[in-house]
Amino acid sequence: MAVCIAVIAKENYPLYIRSIPAEHELKFHYTVHTSLDVVDEKVSAMGKALVDQRELYLGLLYPTEDYKVYGYVTNSKVKFVMVVDSSNTALRDNEIRSMFRKLHNSYTDVMCNPFYNPGDRIHSRAFDNMVTSMMVQGC
Amino acid sequence: MAQCVQSVQELIPDSFVPCVAALCSEEAERLTRRNHLSFAELLKPFSRLTSEVHMRDPNNQLHIIKNLKISVSNIVTQPPLPGAIRKHLSDVVSISQPAEGLVANVITAGDYDLNISDQSIKASVPWYSNWKDTLMELKESTLYSATTPWFESYRESFLQSMPASDHEFLNHYLACMLVASSSEPEPVEQFLKLSQEQHRIQHSSDYSYPKWFIPNTLKYYVLLHDVSAGDEQRADSLYEEMKQRYGTQGCYLLKINSRTSNRSSDEQIPDPWSQYLQKNSIQNQESYEDGPYTITSNKNADSSMLSLDGLDNEVKDGLPNNFKAHPLQLDQSSDPASNFDGADHIKSMLSIHETKKMNTGILHGACLTLTDHDRIRQFIQEFTFRGLLPHIEKTIRQLNDQLISRKGLSRSLFSATKKWFSGSKVPEKSINELKNTSGLLYPPEAPELQIRKMADLCFLVQHYDLAYSCYHTAKKDFLNDQAMLYAAGALEMAAVSAFLQPGAPRPYPAHYMDTAIQTYRDICKNMVLAERCVLLSAEILKSQSKYSEAAALLIRLTSEKKHALRCYCQAMQVYKGKGWSLAEDHINFTIGRQSFTLRQLDNAVSAFKHILINESKQPAAQQGAFLREYLYVYKNVSQLSPDGPLPQLPLPYINSLATRVFFGHDRRPAEGEKQAATHISLDQEYDSESSQQWRELEEQVVAVINKGIIPSNFHPTQYCLNSYTDNSRFPLAVVEEPITVEVAFRNPLKVPLLLTELSLLWKFQPKGSNSKDNEETKELVTCGHEMIGTEVISEFLINSEEIKVARLKLFPHHIGELHILGVVYNLGTIQSSVGLDGIGCIPGCHTGKHPSNIMSVRGRQDLEIQGPRLNNTKEEKTSIKYGPDRRLDPIITEEMPLLEVFFINFPTGLLCGEIRKAYVEFVNVSKCPLTGLKVVSKRPEFFTFGGNTEALTPLSPSASENCSAYKTVVADSTSGATALTSSASSVDFGLGSQPEVIHVPLPDSVLLPGASVQLPMWLRGPDEEGVHEINFLFYYESIKKQSNICHRVLRHTAVICTSRSLNVRATVCRSNTLEGEEGRGGNMLVFVDVENINTSEAGVKEFHIVQVSSNSKHWKLQKSVNLSENKDSKLASREKGKLCFKAVRCKNFEAAAQSSEKYTFVDIIFGNEQIISSASPCADFFFRSLSSELKKTHAQYNSLATEKQSSDDAVRLIKKCSEVDLNIVVLWKAYVVEDNKQLILEGQHHVILRTLGREAFSFSQKQEPPEMGLLKFTRPENTMVPTKPTVEQLSSLIKTSLQYPESFNHPFHQKSLCLVPVTLLLSNCSQTDVDVIIDLRHKATSPDALEVHGSFTWLGQTQYKLQLKSQEIYSLQLKACFVHAGVYNLGTPRVFAKLSDQVTLFETSQQSSMPALIIISNV
Repeated sequence: MAVCIAVIAKENYPLYIRSIPAEHELKFHYTVHTSLDVVDEKVSAMGKALVDQRELYLGLLYPTEDYKVYGYVTNSKVKFVMVVDSSNTALRDNEIRSMFRKLHNSYTDVMCNPFYNPGDRIHSRAFDNMVTSMMVQGC
Repeated sequence: MAQCVQSVQELIPDSFVPCVAALCSEEAERLTRRNHLSFAELLKPFSRLTSEVHMRDPNNQLHIIKNLKISVSNIVTQPPLPGAIRKHLSDVVSISQPAEGLVANVITAGDYDLNISDQSIKASVPWYSNWKDTLMELKESTLYSATTPWFESYRESFLQSMPASDHEFLNHYLACMLVASSSEPEPVEQFLKLSQEQHRIQHSSDYSYPKWFIPNTLKYYVLLHDVSAGDEQRADSLYEEMKQRYGTQGCYLLKINSRTSNRSSDEQIPDPWSQYLQKNSIQNQESYEDGPYTITSNKNADSSMLSLDGLDNEVKDGLPNNFKAHPLQLDQSSDPASNFDGADHIKSMLSIHETKKMNTGILHGACLTLTDHDRIRQFIQEFTFRGLLPHIEKTIRQLNDQLISRKGLSRSLFSATKKWFSGSKVPEKSINELKNTSGLLYPPEAPELQIRKMADLCFLVQHYDLAYSCYHTAKKDFLNDQAMLYAAGALEMAAVSAFLQPGAPRPYPAHYMDTAIQTYRDICKNMVLAERCVLLSAEILKSQSKYSEAAALLIRLTSEKKHALRCYCQAMQVYKGKGWSLAEDHINFTIGRQSFTLRQLDNAVSAFKHILINESKQPAAQQGAFLREYLYVYKNVSQLSPDGPLPQLPLPYINSLATRVFFGHDRRPAEGEKQAATHISLDQEYDSESSQQWRELEEQVVAVINKGIIPSNFHPTQYCLNSYTDNSRFPLAVVEEPITVEVAFRNPLKVPLLLTELSLLWKFQPKGSNSKDNEETKELVTCGHEMIGTEVISEFLINSEEIKVARLKLFPHHIGELHILGVVYNLGTIQSSVGLDGIGCIPGCHTGKHPSNIMSVRGRQDLEIQGPRLNNTKEEKTSIKYGPDRRLDPIITEEMPLLEVFFINFPTGLLCGEIRKAYVEFVNVSKCPLTGLKVVSKRPEFFTFGGNTEALTPLSPSASENCSAYKTVVADSTSGATALTSSASSVDFGLGSQPEVIHVPLPDSVLLPGASVQLPMWLRGPDEEGVHEINFLFYYESIKKQSNICHRVLRHTAVICTSRSLNVRATVCRSNTLEGEEGRGGNMLVFVDVENINTSEAGVKEFHIVQVSSNSKHWKLQKSVNLSENKDSKLASREKGKLCFKAVRCKNFEAAAQSSEKYTFVDIIFGNEQIISSASPCADFFFRSLSSELKKTHAQYNSLATEKQSSDDAVRLIKKCSEVDLNIVVLWKAYVVEDNKQLILEGQHHVILRTLGREAFSFSQKQEPPEMGLLKFTRPENTMVPTKPTVEQLSSLIKTSLQYPESFNHPFHQKSLCLVPVTLLLSNCSQTDVDVIIDLRHKATSPDALEVHGSFTWLGQTQYKLQLKSQEIYSLQLKACFVHAGVYNLGTPRVFAKLSDQVTLFETSQQSSMPALIIISNV
């Protein structure tokens, strides 16, 4: 389904980044990195008052030739970025939204782990499995 | 500021101004020089007109010129050298640079701080134009704060320094000022001369430079008058004369120097020159320096011309090179020579600062008053209004007329004729040809250039409409003629004038500019012009807010590679340290590659280094590629400077802290039966516990050597230094003994690394040469091999992500201080180097050293070890300070003896208590004699070298095979149970106050160099079963006393595995019988239980007790008691035997007083061989175990003893009665089957009997760890309870025995009372007098006692009070009366004892429990 899933910290460094075709890893890293500008733009565009009750899902950030990039920002300003193959038309906005929600739940679980140091890279098997399931599913 | 001060509408007209030449007479020049100014310089600040000027164009319409500026310059007949221009430009830029570090060019864009002052780019000046686009883009941003003051000055200087060229006329001289002084003798003559000179310069073929606009140049005659010195009237009259000659509009009288310079200091006059002159100082200076070439002096004109010719050739020759080196060449990197030489640059910087200094010191215009300033201004105005502009107006009109007349000829015809002759060929010209030549070249006065001339004139006087139409026409013509250079010039100016047209009737034709730039660059290869074009165009585009186009233009002008590199560098700033590691690697890699192609090798190396040293997440193949590329780049760097210092390599990692240093030879492998001392080696892991043990051992032996005191400067010998050892002192190494350094490498990459020719890097300062310079010379020199030998490891492979240690050796051959600095090696990979894409493999890039195709570079890595953190003083605790670590700085000292120890027949497994004989060989392998050999061990009871009473007969080990370890004597079999007595003292067996330190009995106590000694050594298996590690520390000294090293040590750890053999328990009790008591003292019974507890049934078949020996100071075994049936006392597995012996006091008890410390040895033999227990090794081990036992009990009861101290003597005396010091040695033989061979093993167990009645063991039972008690918070009250001796102790004070007939027949029917005489023997066991009370009364309190004893009574006195002397035996006659037959217990007398000199009565019944039965039978 997704070809790349990334979790970016508030300070814009990657907490977790995983992509399926390993040979284009660098490209995906760049894609995710550049998408952060769009995320910032979207978040700041919303204005102060709306920030509190805003929706976390940002929608399609931008499409490229081969991929679509979706974004999601938690209340703690942690960004989730998902890169999806453009050819996959089965994925609608709603599916993406639910995938993000799943991702967010899993991320929350990681945060709840008392042994996890917030701000470190995520090394969690449960989280890995969940991401894998989202990437493999429907491929 | 990136924001320019001038708007583009001001900038362009100021860049293109009418040029006027100035030709001065010497006298005139001298006048202006008084102000430290040349004539041209004098005019410079006033060269802008303050008022509007009017002019009529060819159509007779009024044209207004605003802010006109003219440029007056001295005639220079040489075109400026491109090199000089370049230098000047770079100087201008470097002057404008903010001081290093003061103002960082940091742009805050969003979250990032970008530092745009890239050092590599700062180094080469022309690339500063690269920055412009960035700056222009940033202008929009409100956050930018970057400053580029250099850019404007660069641009200004660049435009001003444009050399005049043939295809355009903008900077050709329009007019010439001829300047003479009024003080000259013949000013009119002078004017004539000057005029001729000008004519000659312009029209003779000798000068191709400067360029003149039109053939008949306007000549303007200026008479300079020095007001302060000259005659004013003369000047006025001269001026009048001039007016008549040249007309009022062609001449001028300029009065200057109204005051003398020395007066001026107190008056502050503004110095308008300073801002101009600083900038141009270089140019001016040069022009002065090049004096011969300038035609400021007429006198030596001829000679100067000659020299000029000569030099001209040179200059021309030099030209191609200089052009080649022009910074604006497209691909600068293709020619390495074009790189700015750093040194050159610095030099120019210096010169700039010098001139700056110089200029600031000089006050310009010191002789000029403000009135003079006004006069000059007036003069310029007059010149422009009256002279220059009419001249221009006239010229324009002339040119216009010419053009119109030519137009009349019909343009089509003109072009048709052209086509007729040459035009047909034009289209056939291939593009390549066009590119090679710049197309057609016109002669200077060609008719085609007239229109261009007119356009330029119009442009100069700001008539842009006309200029544009002229340029446009010219452009068409030139294009038709394929005169590309001319066309480009026309296009450029057309675009500029289109832009500058007032009201802007047409849009700015940017494509004109683009074409012009392309043509300049690609076809004409004239980068200077292209750059000018770009600068103008960029400026125009900028004013139209077309920033990206402007940027694109600038970028296109510069090297794309450089630009790319810069972009990557900035991207690096964004990604750095943010965790985007893959991207970071990629950027670093690209930076590295780009830097390499741009020959910025150092940058390339550092970029590649970054990829490699960070923990890379790249796959192995990628890492391999990175590494290969890195090595390749590195190789190129090192080839550039082969003599430079070795570069620091980043790979592999060195864990400096894990570096270990070992002093001494490697451990020799065991040779056959010979087993070398384990000593210490790098293979051993550090163990703090064991090192502490060794340290204690060494302290012990040193304390013994120094009579019990450890010297304050004592430090334990450290042969192996690591991070745990104390490295605060310089370690000592001995000359001619190797130093091994173990370096821990780690390969962080997934590709293997191959290190070749790996060796240590060191610095050596031989002793005696303290001077620094001497030390320096010894560093790193290869000829130092006679000082220090260095081992080289030819190949050392570290696999991927492996941690591997390399051991490198040094062999010091001299005394001095050695500093190990690091390692030096060739770094390479094992994969063959494939040509790197993009770079390609330069053939022959390998050095001859390594013939294979392994790409490797030579470099070094330093070993820097940080010492431990200090934490002693308060200051150290509050701050972070680290102590020194000197493990790599050994001091090489003089020769020392070196001992090697070998063990022969050393067992690995023993039975507990087994005695084995082994041999130990001492070899002195050094060139120094060795003495004072001692060995120290925590377990002295484990081994012995034999007592010194024996004659040392070092039997060879082979001869002693299968022989008993003991010294035996064949005994006559009849003597069976009898005892054989001998005596010995513990001193004889080398046991001093410190039993741990054992002197090794070397013959002559010296071991000469190369000598070896074999000594027998007996071992006894420790009493506890299990594996024992026994540490031996051999201590020895040199014959010569040395300051640095007093002694050396050698370590050996023996590992012995013991298995259970026998368990011996013994008790001793007082024999009750007093019979056979010869003399006094008493006798005792000793019961010895021997149990075979060996569990390995296969190995040991049976044990034989062959002998039991006793030794004591006071007691001896007399005979075996029950030997009737089991004579040879065999013990099979798990069998137990009991032996009983009678012990008596030694006869010579008094004679051998206690002070003599003599022990009496008694052997009771069960076999037919007597083992002499008083000789080695039996006695040795006995004494050793005794002393260790003593120590143990001391330690155990130490706390009790202190308490006992307070108790009174009485108790001690009482206790002493029950004490005994009898030691039993059980000697045994074990029959062992091993490999179908029967072996006989021998051994001995010791039991030390201290107390009567208490059971003693051959080895102390393991004590149960005390159970964890409740934690008490109250201090236990130390109430001094008067210690009372126990009942047991008291009971042994007096020994009693009853003597009576066992059975007594009495006819009760005859006599009802039976009287039996009973003798009560009382024996005082103590050493003092004892009061004894004997009470015969039955105890009436106990009813059952009545029952038993009620049937008999004692007759006579029922209570006795006696005093017994020490050891006295007293017999008391008693009578017992019986009334019935039966069995009675006579043991009812109660005996109370009391020390006679004591008040307190420790009364207790003596031996109350002992039954003494008597049978009374009735007959």
